[in-house]
Amino acid sequence: MRPVRLSVVTLAVVVGAFLLGASATAHHSRAGYDSAAGKLVTNNGVVSNVIWRNPHVFVVWDVKDSNGSVVKWTGELSSPTTMISEGMGRDTFKPGDPITATFMPAKAGTPHGLLIKVVRPDGKIVMDLSERRNLLEQ
Amino acid sequence: MRYGMRVFIVTLAAVAALPWAASAQAPGRTPEKPVVPSVPAPPGWKSCPRCQNEADRREANARYKVEGHAFNPRDLSGVWYGGEGAAGRIFTNPPPYTPLGKERFEATIGEKNAAGEYLHTKDTSGIGGGAQVNCDPRGWPRLATGNYGFEFIMLPDRVLQFFEQTHTSRTIWTDGRKLPDSPPELRWLGWNVGRWEGNTFIVESTGFDDRSWISATQPDGGFPHTDEMRVVEHWRRPSYGAIEVQITITDPQIYTQPWALRPLTVSLAPGAEIWEYFCVPSDFNTFNNDIYLPVATGDKK
Repeated sequence: MRPVRLSVVTLAVVVGAFLLGASATAHHSRAGYDSAAGKLVTNNGVVSNVIWRNPHVFVVWDVKDSNGSVVKWTGELSSPTTMISEGMGRDTFKPGDPITATFMPAKAGTPHGLLIKVVRPDGKIVMDLSERRNLLEQ
Repeated sequence: MRYGMRVFIVTLAAVAALPWAASAQAPGRTPEKPVVPSVPAPPGWKSCPRCQNEADRREANARYKVEGHAFNPRDLSGVWYGGEGAAGRIFTNPPPYTPLGKERFEATIGEKNAAGEYLHTKDTSGIGGGAQVNCDPRGWPRLATGNYGFEFIMLPDRVLQFFEQTHTSRTIWTDGRKLPDSPPELRWLGWNVGRWEGNTFIVESTGFDDRSWISATQPDGGFPHTDEMRVVEHWRRPSYGAIEVQITITDPQIYTQPWALRPLTVSLAPGAEIWEYFCVPSDFNTFNNDIYLPVATGDKK
């Protein structure tokens, strides 16, 4: 085979193989959340409520800002049974629990996020959806 | 660059790309090692299919000795779980639309937010995102790729298929009755009859309510159908731990030829039982109005 043709074949096979992988793993991000790489936000606060219902569980936590005022953050997760598979139960959080939350923030700048990871003050990971983000994108 | 080196690089690149595709296609793709163990079911009760992680499934398969287990190929009973992404695996390559089909499909596309992201506002059988109405029945065959599991219960004159997501069931009559020529009511799950031919369970269905979508499409909308849609399914159980179905959809008003879907393989979930996932309109509407839409549209409350 002439070198020129093999270059085209090489390119086609490499691009095709990666496209196959890329299209199979591609998913669509949830409208309104910033899913771009490097945009995750982390803050510390205290749980005030957990709504353990379909379609999505959500955790509400209070964060003190630099002025000392309290901002109420709402973090979405997946369905209750999905969260069970990830080690979170209905009683995992209680009002008053301190947490460190990492999430995809709402693009509008409102205190909302798609929760990716929650850690307790002692470093114990309560849940980590880093490898299952597609669960949040329904 | 020498020819041999080029071939080596091409091969290496292709092989390196394969795990992406393979892992995306495998049913129930989740991390092999859970970050946090799943929450166990109460003593004496089983987890739901979706409640299990991959480690739980492996452990249950070993405990129930699924591999090589004796089985009756004409017995479909069990709790079955297809994992994530099944809809994307089988609802592919639809036939071309008729003019009516194109019009009906375009009517399923909803609004977008200011950033041009779809809000899924027309999916009334949706699961909480954007639609003004949630919790209309998902319908069949949309339920076929729900990723919360289903259970087949075999009875002398019928087969019951019970779906966890939206807590619904369909009855497939096996008492020899024929499909009605003019169904007196249209059904979201159709009128269903089944029969065995050898080790294949053939289901035929008609009389569908045309408001359901065959499946959601990306990035928005869904495959439409009329009340004249006919669905034929071939179910087989090639082993104790697997069941597969091939579905063919015929609706000449919408699709210019029959749509033979790719076969779908679903795994036995021996360590699981069906839980209750009602689509509760008040819960879904609260989620939609208080969480989904404010974030998706950026409206500051």
